[in-house]
Amino acid sequence: MGVYVHIPFCAQKCYYCDFYSVVVSEDFPTLAGNYLVSLRQEALYYRKIWGEQPLDSLFIGGGTPSVIPPEELAGLVSWLLKELPFVAEPEVTMEANPHSLTAAGVEVLSAAGVNRISLGVQAFQNNLLKSIGRIHRAEQIGESVEALRKAGVDNINLDLMFGLPGQRVQDWLNTLESALALEPAHLSCYGLILEENTPMEKWVSEGLMEVPNDDGQAEMYEAACRILKGSGYEHYEISNFALPGKRSSHNLLYWQNKPFIGLGSGATGYIGGNRYRNIPDLWRYMQSWHEGGPLYEDCDQVSVEREMDETMMVGMRLLAGVDEASFCRRYGISFWELYQPAINDLLARGLVEWDGAKLRVTRLGLFLENQVSAAFLR
Amino acid sequence: MGQRNIRNFCIIAHIDHGKSTLADRILEHTGAVSKRDMSEQLLDSMDLERERGITIKLKAVRLAYEAKDGQEYILNLIDTPGHVDFSYEVSRSLAACEGALLVIDASQGIEAQTLANLYLALDHDLEIIPVINKIDLPNADPERVIRELEDNIGIPGEDAVLVSARTGQGIEDILETIVERIPPPQGDPEAPTRAMIFDSHYDQYRGAVAYARVVDGTIKVGEIIQMMSSGRQFEVTDLGVLAPNLVRVGSLGPGDVGCIIASMKDVRDTRVGDTITVASRPATQPLSGYRPAKPMVYCGLYPVVNEEYTALRDALDKLQLNDAALTYEAESSAALGFGYRCGFLGLLHLEIVQERLEREFDLNLITTAPSVVYQVVLTDGSVKEVDNPSALPPVTNIDHIKEPFVKASIMVPDEFVGAVMDVCQDRRGIFVTMEYITPERARLEYELPLAEILMDFFDRLKSRTKGYASLDYEFLGYRESEVVKLDILLNGNPVDALSCIVHQDKALSRGRGLAEKLKEVIPRQQFEVPIQAAIGNKIIARETVRALRKDVLAKCYGGDISRKRKLLEKQKEGKKRMKSLGSVEVPQEAFMAILEVD
Repeated sequence: MGVYVHIPFCAQKCYYCDFYSVVVSEDFPTLAGNYLVSLRQEALYYRKIWGEQPLDSLFIGGGTPSVIPPEELAGLVSWLLKELPFVAEPEVTMEANPHSLTAAGVEVLSAAGVNRISLGVQAFQNNLLKSIGRIHRAEQIGESVEALRKAGVDNINLDLMFGLPGQRVQDWLNTLESALALEPAHLSCYGLILEENTPMEKWVSEGLMEVPNDDGQAEMYEAACRILKGSGYEHYEISNFALPGKRSSHNLLYWQNKPFIGLGSGATGYIGGNRYRNIPDLWRYMQSWHEGGPLYEDCDQVSVEREMDETMMVGMRLLAGVDEASFCRRYGISFWELYQPAINDLLARGLVEWDGAKLRVTRLGLFLENQVSAAFLR
Repeated sequence: MGQRNIRNFCIIAHIDHGKSTLADRILEHTGAVSKRDMSEQLLDSMDLERERGITIKLKAVRLAYEAKDGQEYILNLIDTPGHVDFSYEVSRSLAACEGALLVIDASQGIEAQTLANLYLALDHDLEIIPVINKIDLPNADPERVIRELEDNIGIPGEDAVLVSARTGQGIEDILETIVERIPPPQGDPEAPTRAMIFDSHYDQYRGAVAYARVVDGTIKVGEIIQMMSSGRQFEVTDLGVLAPNLVRVGSLGPGDVGCIIASMKDVRDTRVGDTITVASRPATQPLSGYRPAKPMVYCGLYPVVNEEYTALRDALDKLQLNDAALTYEAESSAALGFGYRCGFLGLLHLEIVQERLEREFDLNLITTAPSVVYQVVLTDGSVKEVDNPSALPPVTNIDHIKEPFVKASIMVPDEFVGAVMDVCQDRRGIFVTMEYITPERARLEYELPLAEILMDFFDRLKSRTKGYASLDYEFLGYRESEVVKLDILLNGNPVDALSCIVHQDKALSRGRGLAEKLKEVIPRQQFEVPIQAAIGNKIIARETVRALRKDVLAKCYGGDISRKRKLLEKQKEGKKRMKSLGSVEVPQEAFMAILEVD
């Protein structure tokens, strides 16, 4: 179980992104300072509700956490590690942009406990980076990785994207090659999703921008699976690849549908069967903590039936599949009993396979995973 | 008040020429409604009046008017439906009148519907009062309209009344002209009672309410009335006139227009055009002109999920209470399961019913392609009526097939005559005649297969004429035609609900078009789906829906779990609206695709 902290600040909004964040302006230092105070208030609030269940991971995401001065972030991290019931050596991940990391900064963060960095690389072609609104340049990627290693952080993830406007299959192959040359412990390869209310979605729908179609994306995805496997990476989740022993424990808890504390404006959490989303409005978020309590955009009590559905829905994203015995231990019932007709249909369609212990997606099912997941929604 | 002080009239107009606004002004002017009470366009509104649970449709309004001759008159304004699908209903409304206001937009001039309605009115020997409306508009050209009237209809220009329904200018002149020129009703008060039903509607508490015009004799509350077409008898519980609030009356005499409530179960007891008489002293001859509503267009209506079959039947039952023209009978399709074959007056009627079923009864329906009724002459000389392609007998048993033709009248500005001819030609039209209403406006007459009109003919006509064409048509009769059955196969299996009957010359292009259209609307699925069009055993077109290669969300982290669930649920909801044919998921639009294919 873990903690997610949302840092809703960015130097610039990427055109495809629909996460909540505000672009930093002149009052940023004060704003960030106040925000970090609210985060601590919120953490203390959940500390009481959470109890003593051990936390194995902390994930600082965004937005762009690295726009906040390293000293301040380091302060927050070490404080959280001290105040919340973390295990002895938790995985502590921070997201960062290649342009905003310095060796000195990383050393401060590392000293505070950050031991894993997820770099928003996306592509190694400056024209593609520009077309999606990223502000870093390809040259900065290698420099950042070098700085991280120098500061002793070797557990590095690179986020890559395919299906970008104007991206050719060859561009994607080059991106994979450049990424592999940096020898990261972990790689996430995401197909572009045109989210509603993003500039990119608007441009594409208006015909001002063209992105590769589904077939094009499928081809790029196929290439990533093949090449990364050939380079020794384990494909363990739809979009995630890791060297042995380097899987992201924090993200695994999402795919295992485990509880987690979410902190920050726009963050979601799942505590005691309650799935909540904090108000995605920095100022109202801070105001509510100033007044001493949470302000949710949504807060739903998830029934056990629904949680079982969702456990299957997210669990089937893992290539290892869902283990029947663990499911039984958790819910006191076999998933066969719950979903037999759906599972049989998926088996007949060749989308999943059953080895007597685990139900998992086939290669075909991997590409059509929505159809697998949807089968478990009652 | 005597019969000679009654005037029964209706307003006929092309759509948008201002009929409703004019009716409102007349109501207002005669004090039937005060300006403050007026909801916009009173005659158009339904369920306007609720009184002791009776819903009243303003099918006829009784107006009191003191004319310049110092006498009081009763003016009955009778509403007419505005669409060609309901031309029979229009004709019955006209038959209830002695005169008609022919409303023409001062800037648009005479349109096809204006003429069609005018001819209908002349057929009923109505006194025509031309009303040139919207004279306040900057582009009004009443002189031109007067010329059109004189040159083409032969109505003297000085007879026209110039008005602006918007400003109220000229309304008084209309009322005076009605009193002066429209003759009073001619019925015999002593003769056996005869009243003509020109409209009806169903009220959930009181049953069917008939709107009728008394021609001879009287109807009184408490009397037993008899429907002359069916012989069925009912006791009159209430009589009323609409002024426009319901005013109860004890009797209705010759020339009177009112509503009759007589515990009639549904509108099939009050057939439009039927004659009501009094059982104790029945008339021997009904009024002329009654014909039972006969569906011209048929289609299959199927619930998307089989469980809704009973709900669909209940809904059709309910709609039929208020719609005597709607027919339905159970049928089944190999592809779609159990449903109903429904008959309609025309496409608009079909669309109205379909929409009401989906909206008011919350049903998810698949509508199969509309079909006309073909007369199939078999080799043994017998004739079989076929309104469903799958009911077509084997080719070897067919001697020939006849299809219904209509006479279509199309009016357009001169510059679009060529375009209209192209469209009609393309739709197997036979040119009959062309005349110029004015030097700039032509009226073309074509004979067209009704089946071709069902295929978005009017939309095509509109788009080719920048929206200027106006269309009216009437049934002509059956003609021999070289039609064949076109089948569609998905994954190699014929889908009965996608079959259609088409003219031989069009089969190839229709088959290709349909296959292409289906390729567009059938979503990609896990496996490739071949689409084939065939006549008999001969494949004439083929398309393929390629297999779906990717249907997966790249990201799904903590915050995305609820989102993903919602997205998948939405996808699932969409799937529910699709029909599973074998292993192929087919969306509802596919079954209507044939309408959009040339």
